[in-house]
Amino acid sequence: MSAPLFKYGLFGDEISLIVAFVIGIGFGFFLERAGLGSARKLTAQFYLTDLSVFKVMFTAIVTAMLGLFYLSWAGWVDISLVYLSPTYLLPQLAGGLLLGLGFVIGGYCPGTSVVAVSTGALDAWLYLAGVMAGIFVFGEMFSSIGPFFYATDMGSLTIPDLIHLPYGVVVLGVVLLALGGFAGAGWVERLFAPPSRES
Amino acid sequence: MKRPFSYHPTMNQLLAGGALLLGALAVFGSPYRGPVARVNLRELARDVGVEADHVTAEQLADWILQQRADYRLLDLRDEAAWSEYHIPGAELVPMAKLIDYPLLRNETIVLYSDGGIHAAQGWFLLEAAGHKSVALLLGGLNAWKDEILFPVLAEDASAEQRAAFERARFVSEHFGGTPSVSGGTLETDRTPTPLPKTDMPVAPATPRARKRKAKEGC
Repeated sequence: MSAPLFKYGLFGDEISLIVAFVIGIGFGFFLERAGLGSARKLTAQFYLTDLSVFKVMFTAIVTAMLGLFYLSWAGWVDISLVYLSPTYLLPQLAGGLLLGLGFVIGGYCPGTSVVAVSTGALDAWLYLAGVMAGIFVFGEMFSSIGPFFYATDMGSLTIPDLIHLPYGVVVLGVVLLALGGFAGAGWVERLFAPPSRES
Repeated sequence: MKRPFSYHPTMNQLLAGGALLLGALAVFGSPYRGPVARVNLRELARDVGVEADHVTAEQLADWILQQRADYRLLDLRDEAAWSEYHIPGAELVPMAKLIDYPLLRNETIVLYSDGGIHAAQGWFLLEAAGHKSVALLLGGLNAWKDEILFPVLAEDASAEQRAAFERARFVSEHFGGTPSVSGGTLETDRTPTPLPKTDMPVAPATPRARKRKAKEGC
């Protein structure tokens, strides 16, 4: 048996929804337990006093990367079937900036706002309403921003393809980047720590 | 008594060390399978034996007429042959590119070539690559031309055969073919039967691909 299980036809569309539900609940649960359901914690990231978000996300990236790499090396995952969202350089840069702005101002990213809603945070409800309104406006505006949305199409790009390095070398590079990042994050946190009182 | 070397790493240090070790080992591996495959020969032989992997030209014509979108039709011939004629809805996939062509393991794939030899060889490649539902157009494009595009009714045909021919005639004309009664065509002129223009009536393949794409990503 190999993964991706859905693409190998192990289950159909209906079961895949149930699987997605279970995985989604698990994902949300651990986001909340990692503290990412708190707008205070999330915005502390931008004041450099608490880089938990950075550490959680980079840990998740490294864990998933090593897991996928070794499982596919062992032949249990067919990585060629794992979906790669295509790169549209400029629109994605613009979208990333917009999302970052919303993150700083609202205190959540889309996923964590849903997590915070589940814990009853009122600001998260408001944030989620904003997300929905944004989706609606985007949909209505799509005919006019469509050309930009599809601009600078670079296809399904991977870093190993882009910089012509063997896959494993990139894996090592990302691990080193993460470890360096964690050490650096700890240093930055100590540097910007608020004077006593709060921890 | 204190041991000369006593170091108790924290959990974070242990995990970091583990990640570093796995990262360093990764340099020697690759996650891609490449062109190497393992096949279950008995299973393959059984599949071939029961002929479950055949689609007749008539079945395929029905699928196209019903605008079914739950299969992919691949044309394994070269580009020249493709541009001269291909079955509506088919995708041109040169044999050498078949293994890297974006296909899902669980979708029904129908292969055809002129006769059927290339399609049969392609069938084996895709089966070996782990595709679950690969089928051959029985008799290949030749059978498609004989049975669907240019069906012939024998002059001494029985009433039943004539009734069946009415259906064949409808299908043939739908695909731009020329049905004929043995000896001469039903139509008045008998030029060397031209192949119909390609991409005539098709159940479009593109919207389906787009729909699938939209399901993915985050």
